[in-house]
This record gives sequence, C-alpha cells and structure tokens, in this order.
Amino acid sequence: MSKSSNYLMPIFIFTAIVLTMPFWFPFLGGYEGLDTKILIWAIFALGFDLLLGYTGYLSFGHAAFFGISAYVTGLMLLHFSSNIIPAMIASVIVTLIIAFLIGLLTLKRSGIYFSILTLAFAEMFHSAALSMFQDWTGGDNGLTGIPTPMLFGLKMQEMTVYYFVAIIAIALFYLAIRISRSPFGIMLRAIKSNQHRLEFTGVNVFKYKVFAFVISAFYATIAGSLMVIYEPYVASEFLDWSTSGHLVIMSVLGGVGTLFGPMIGAAFMLYFENVLSVPLGEQWLLVLGIIFMLIVIFLPGGFVDGARKLKRKLTAKENS
Amino acid sequence: MAILDVHNVSKNFGGLAALKDVTFQVEEGTIHSLIGPNGAGKSTLLNVLTGLLAADEGRVSYKGTPLTEISPHEINQLGIAKVFQTPAIFPEMSLLENVVIPVLAARDGDFKLNFMETPKGMAECYSYAEEMLNEVGLQDDRNKEARFLSRGDKRRLELALCLASKPKLLLLDEPTAGMARHETEQTIELLRKIHSKGMTKVIVEHDMNVVFALSERISVLAQGQIIAEGSPDEIKGHPKVIEAYLGEEQEEA
Repeated sequence: MSKSSNYLMPIFIFTAIVLTMPFWFPFLGGYEGLDTKILIWAIFALGFDLLLGYTGYLSFGHAAFFGISAYVTGLMLLHFSSNIIPAMIASVIVTLIIAFLIGLLTLKRSGIYFSILTLAFAEMFHSAALSMFQDWTGGDNGLTGIPTPMLFGLKMQEMTVYYFVAIIAIALFYLAIRISRSPFGIMLRAIKSNQHRLEFTGVNVFKYKVFAFVISAFYATIAGSLMVIYEPYVASEFLDWSTSGHLVIMSVLGGVGTLFGPMIGAAFMLYFENVLSVPLGEQWLLVLGIIFMLIVIFLPGGFVDGARKLKRKLTAKENS
Repeated sequence: MAILDVHNVSKNFGGLAALKDVTFQVEEGTIHSLIGPNGAGKSTLLNVLTGLLAADEGRVSYKGTPLTEISPHEINQLGIAKVFQTPAIFPEMSLLENVVIPVLAARDGDFKLNFMETPKGMAECYSYAEEMLNEVGLQDDRNKEARFLSRGDKRRLELALCLASKPKLLLLDEPTAGMARHETEQTIELLRKIHSKGMTKVIVEHDMNVVFALSERISVLAQGQIIAEGSPDEIKGHPKVIEAYLGEEQEEA
C-alpha cells in the first residue's frame, strides 16, 4: 500500500520532462512543433492505456473519437468563434455522447469481437466523413481555412500552444495516476484479470467497462481537439483505422498497462517517423516494423519492461 | 427459518432435462450439502442459484427475494457468495488486492465512480482484507501475485475473497476437487472454523468424507431430481441413495 500511495514521484518526473522539453529536444534533432505533436499523441496513448492496459479491451475505434473531436473543434473555430474554449467544450460533449453509445453497444462483447465492432464503428464515421458529410468535413481534402485559434485574445502559436498542451498533459497524467491507484482503477485491473469472478464479487462489471471506455475516449477527445489547435487543419486520415493502429503500436512498443510506456512509445514513434526517418530514407517503415517485431518477440512488456529488467540486473550485480 | 427456497425448478438443455421439478429449502445457519452421481444436475442447480443459468420453470428465492431474474452481481450484493470448482481468483493481482476487491464492493455497492480516492482512503478496507487473509492463514503472502499459489492456497484465497464480502449464504462447488488428502483435511477444518460464525453454506461435493464430516442436512440429486433428503445418518441408510450413488461406490470398493 505504501508503494501505491507514492504517486507524486511519477508526476514530478513527468512534469520536469514536459516543462523542459523545448530546451533539450532541439539538441536531439527535433524540429519546432514536433515536441507539441509528441505531447498530443502521448495524451492519446495515455488514455488508450487506461482501457487496454487496465481492462484488457483492445479498441480499434479510438480514431473515431480523435477524428470526431478534431472535426467538431475545427468546425467550431471556423463557424462559431476562434476561441478554443467553446470549441473544446463542444468537442468533449459531442464525442463523449458518441463514445458512451458506442461503449454500450460494443462492450457487450469481448476479445476480437469487441475489437472488430469498434473498428466497424470508426470506419463508419470515416466513410460518412468522406461521403454524406463531405460538405462539412471537406471530404478527402480535409477541413481547411480554420482561423488561428485564440485563447481569450492570446494567439495559439509556437510556445503558447506547447505550454497549453503541456499543462493539459500534466493534468491528464495526474488524473490517470489517480485513477490507476483508486478503487476504480483496482476494479479495472480486476476486469482484465478475471471479470467473471469480479461479477460474482458483487461488482457491476459492465458499468465499469463503459466508464473506462468513456474516460479513455475523453483523452482521445482532448488529443483530437489539441491537434487542431496545434495545426488548424483536420485531415480525413484522423478518422482512418491507421490512426488506431498507430496507437496500438505505440502502446505495445512502450509497454501496455504502465501509463508511462505508451507515452514513451508515442514519443519514440513520432521521433522515428520525423527525425530518424531522414537518414533511413524510404526504408524507415521497414526498420520500424523490424523493431516492433523484435519488441513483441523478445520484450513483450515494451520499453518500460526492458528498463525494469535492466534495473533488476544492475541491482543484482551491485548486490553480488 | 429457510434462507433459500428452491421451488419446482426445471432446466432443459435441448432435449435433455438437467433439472426436473427440484424443490428444497436451506435453513438459516446450517451446512446443507447437495450430492449425487456425475451428471445428476448438481452444478446446473448451483449455476441456477447464482444467476449464471436461467431456470426454464420454477423459482428460487433468498429470504423471500426472487433470484431467477437478477444478475450474478446483484445476487452477490444480496449476501450470496460462491466458491467455484476451479478456484476463481484474480491471478495477476496480489493476495491483498484480491481480497480488498470484495471489501470495496461491499462498501461501495456494485458501482462507484470513485477514481479520485487515494489509497489512504482505502486504509480500513485494506486492514479488513488483511484480517481475512489472516483468517485463512495466507497473511505472509499478502504481496505475492495470486497466480504463484498452490491449488490448495488458491482455494484458501478464494474463500477469503468470498468471506470478505460478509455473505449470509456461501455456495461451494466441490471445494476440495483436485486436492491432496492433507489439503482436503485443511479445507474441512477451515470450513468448520468459518461455520462457527453462523454463516449458511450449501456445498456441492463428490467426496463423501467431506460431506459427512461437514453437513447437517443433505439433499440427493439423481437424474435431475431430488430423490432423498435428510440428516447424514438418514442419507447413509437411504435405499434410494444407496441404489443411485453410494451403492455404486460400495460395489467399486
């Protein structure tokens, strides 16, 4: 119990990394704005881990929440006000209602059936955005012409966007840590471990699953909204299944169920895609694929598990 | 006073009648065993009692509340816990976490959106969970992952897990299945110890030593029907039981 009550350390480490990132990231070859993009994907991956890592439910439909939220934010900025607050509030309301309904329909099933159902819903939204709603979404071209987002007179550009995203990321990381150490978090882990027993322990498993799904979708919603604030454009690919696929790869690379892991996975993948891909040329995807396979085969717990194993080895060496 | 009332329960699987007009009552504070040869319908009956299977006909009520229309978690919240044939625990979680789950469920009900509660707020729950582990003799392994326990210890953990929700009625599906002799004896001892606290128990069991060592009342099922009911002494000499169940064993011996 003493171990679980110590949640200030991870928050402190995360805050220090995030707040100092703009100063050290350029030395690693990161271009301006990539750090913001990494943080946004880290938020997305963090929420995804609350579902996959804690309940064991693998959603292939999170692209829907990310994309819908981005479109709602973009449309609000375009047609209502360039202030990001009403845009973010509207995107949260709309997306969470959709997530709640999808959760009710899909969480009756588990395993591959749940994954396929979520994928089907996301593809439905993707297809609708490209056809019946293309007057609103811009179809294949995406939603363009969005004015520079503002926060009560402050232009959301460069470092302002970064620190806005950073504050939200820290707050959401704090929330994730609190969830993971709470009775609610214990119930989510119990779902992954043995939901049949949990049901026979007097717990309404379905309700816990629906709320875990909605909380996870909330992170995706914030990430989608921030993506438009970072870059005032909504690409139709946001709704594509490959967005969900990216999320799964990031989680597996970093370490499912560790909270930190999927965020590290997100950082690694974006860094790889945007920086390391330059010397590797067109073969970068092939190299990434090989790394992914090696991790799955030799380090199924991802980077975080690798770091833990290394630490254990070093401690054992020191002791001997 | 009857705590559990099973009235004319029938259950069919396709053309096979697994339960036919089963009627019996369990008195509060007693240990009531359900015995019968393989395929008699014992596990089906237990699954109907816990809401895992819906009865085709008849009713089951607990203290007057019908159980046939409600889900397993609602049945548990009424005060009924179940020990499964294969120990059902949370393998990847520590022993303490295993037992704190039912304590939290008893405190918070079937659902509570308490994701901001700190471990400090759960201190009382953890201390009660430790007490329960102490009760079954697993306190030294409290931080161990449950999957590393022996089968006998997993059964003890499951018992602690069930006791932690403070049930009024405990259903046990072959609690000594697959256990070595000494583990069976330990389990009988443990069940006796728990019984001294006045909890009602319904035990489905194959091992006659366990049944006669623990039961105050026995119902015998054969081909989906109750063929006899009475005290252990009455059942031992019952001709129908000898014919349907004990007779087979005596012949084998």
